Amino acid sequence: METDLREDLLKAFEGKLNQTITMYLETCSRCGICTDSCHVYKSMPRPEYSPAARAEVIRKLYKKYFKFQGKLLPALGEARSFDDTTLDDLNRAAYSCTGCRRCMTHCPFGIDTQQIMSIAKLMLVVAKEEPEILSMLADVSISKGESIDMIKQGFIDGLKRLEKDVVKKWKLEAGQIPIPTEVQGADILYVALAGAHSIIPAAAVFNAAKENWTLSFFEAVNFGAFVGDPAKTKLIMDRIINEAKKLNVKEVCICECGTAFRVLKQMSGKQPFKVSSITQVHERYIKENKIKVAKNQFNGVITYHDPCQIARNGGVMDEPRFILSQLTDEFIDMAKRAENNYCCGGGGGLVAMGEDSHDFRMKSAKVKADQVKATNASLLVTACENCHSQLSDLNKYYNMGVEVKFLSSMVADALIHD
Amino acid sequence: MDTLNYIILVPMVYLSSAIFIAGMIYRITSIFKKPVLTIPLRIYPEKNPVWLYTLIDTFLMPQVFKAKPVMWYFLIIFHGSVFLLIIGHIELIQMFDIFQIIEHDVFLGKGFIGLSLFVSLLYFLFRRFTPQAKHLSVLEDYILLTLLLMTVILGSEMDWARTWFGFQEMTVEDYQTYLKSLLFFKPDISDVTYSGHSFMLVFHVFFANLFIMFFPFSKMMHAIFTIPLNKIRRG
Amino acid sequence: MSENIKADKVLDLKGLPCPMPIVKISKGIKEVEINQVIQAITTDPGSLTDFPAWARTNGHEILDTIQGDDTITFYIKRVK
Repeated sequence: METDLREDLLKAFEGKLNQTITMYLETCSRCGICTDSCHVYKSMPRPEYSPAARAEVIRKLYKKYFKFQGKLLPALGEARSFDDTTLDDLNRAAYSCTGCRRCMTHCPFGIDTQQIMSIAKLMLVVAKEEPEILSMLADVSISKGESIDMIKQGFIDGLKRLEKDVVKKWKLEAGQIPIPTEVQGADILYVALAGAHSIIPAAAVFNAAKENWTLSFFEAVNFGAFVGDPAKTKLIMDRIINEAKKLNVKEVCICECGTAFRVLKQMSGKQPFKVSSITQVHERYIKENKIKVAKNQFNGVITYHDPCQIARNGGVMDEPRFILSQLTDEFIDMAKRAENNYCCGGGGGLVAMGEDSHDFRMKSAKVKADQVKATNASLLVTACENCHSQLSDLNKYYNMGVEVKFLSSMVADALIHD
Repeated sequence: MDTLNYIILVPMVYLSSAIFIAGMIYRITSIFKKPVLTIPLRIYPEKNPVWLYTLIDTFLMPQVFKAKPVMWYFLIIFHGSVFLLIIGHIELIQMFDIFQIIEHDVFLGKGFIGLSLFVSLLYFLFRRFTPQAKHLSVLEDYILLTLLLMTVILGSEMDWARTWFGFQEMTVEDYQTYLKSLLFFKPDISDVTYSGHSFMLVFHVFFANLFIMFFPFSKMMHAIFTIPLNKIRRG
Repeated sequence: MSENIKADKVLDLKGLPCPMPIVKISKGIKEVEINQVIQAITTDPGSLTDFPAWARTNGHEILDTIQGDDTITFYIKRVK
């Protein structure tokens, strides 16, 4: 490896070594308890798919360049220098991990493999060896933030086309706008995704609840976080923070997108608004009687897939179950505890990589398919775009025979008047 | 031979203790000088109070119990035994009334603590050779386990000789004389080097020295970092 | 204007989940020659902001955007 590149990689590595990550790198005793908790390993039991083995790729470099032991006696911990295969190994480790953090719940030390993999992802970015598509998507998002005035009108025109569908789901009262934008002082800024399916049901429910809401000009998803580029992550996040501050909203509601929710909730720091997921908002509406939903409109057994970044890593676990209890009497859970649900296998940017990652995504998520099949459900509900895409792919690949649905769209379809 | 005994029982003990203390201070301060990560890394659901659950996670490892019950059993036996043996060694310097809440001769458990430690170490060592763990293991893992195993076998044998077979040549008082003399920097090894069992002590101390020297530079630092890391997970 | 544009490749991106329209157009553009034109049909209102931003960051040119009743059609020229 060229010296310049090695220096750059080491600089990036060192920049990542905060207290927590350093302790993660020092502490692992390679007990391997995490091994069976990884859906990739469970589906394809190869030793390199153990979370600890992924972390070892980073840890061995850490020992060589940042630890006394590795400098003095490299053989003790198999400390390793950068060589021609390092970047490939980093890529394999980082992009076979979806960052679901199920292993973290089983680790006796609480080691966060996603954090360790963030070092690998950053080094890949520095070496320009990251999945090109993810960086491109991040750049598109940033560019939109920089030129919002130029593209605003196009977006507003696009929204007009959705109005009739919103009204079809919920009739408006006099004075209500189907999809409001740029409402100064709104109670809720709703950040959706580019697709109509992310806007129409949400708008209908907001209107039914007579919410003072406004739609963001930006899409929620943060591709900077997928690719592990802290600078881009921040730029993409800041677009939404700035919009929320400018409009002086009380609450930012994130659509069904796990990464977007976790990034904004946990990385935005202290802000004058609170961050909620749309699932939390819908639960609130039902509990406060702001909306009413019809029960048993959906036939058959219904199960729910917990999106990792929303449930285990975001704390939204009881809310979807409450909503489903209002929609059906035939709900069945996949795992005893929500935080123990397997990842769908599409996180960490894998779904956005599309066909490139399809084979791995399907094979590595066999346990998820088995988990779903074991419920005998006919309807598989989730609250994350990424999970929805992946689960739909799994449904085809494994003939799961379910219908995959967004929770928010079910709420919108079940809306009834008093 | 006497010279070697002396080197292991006196200067090497001082050296390893110095390396241990300096190493620990250096390693811990260098990590706490690094920037703090401000992003929360907690796992849900929330359980309060956080400090209580942090301690439960650290000392009772409920996550391991759920995932790997057999491993959990040995981990608890192992760490519990280590704790009791630390108390035992403190008593080998000086008896304290507080340790006598459960009345006992020096080394609680009548030799069985050492035995259970020995068995759990064998389990840890053998499982390193199972396919799943072998791929993860590095030389350090085998070395640490071997050092501990040697230390424990030799130490336990001295204990078993006294408690199970009535061996009288090296008594608690003799060990106390030796360890106290080290502590007050007036080393005296005469009471522990004349017996036929002295070689056990010399080797026990030798392996323990190596282990202690390696401690701050190895994964043994989990002894320190487990509490802060579990706290981070709990939020 | 669009009547005069001849598309060398047509991409149907209707109803795709986020971020597939952009992912597919990025792949698709590599399958035509420089100066050739792709016609992309989407249903996402977000594509009205996504496609111009994508074209700008990747240095391609959107020749025309047509909003039909149910679909949005882009004509995109591969520039480099």
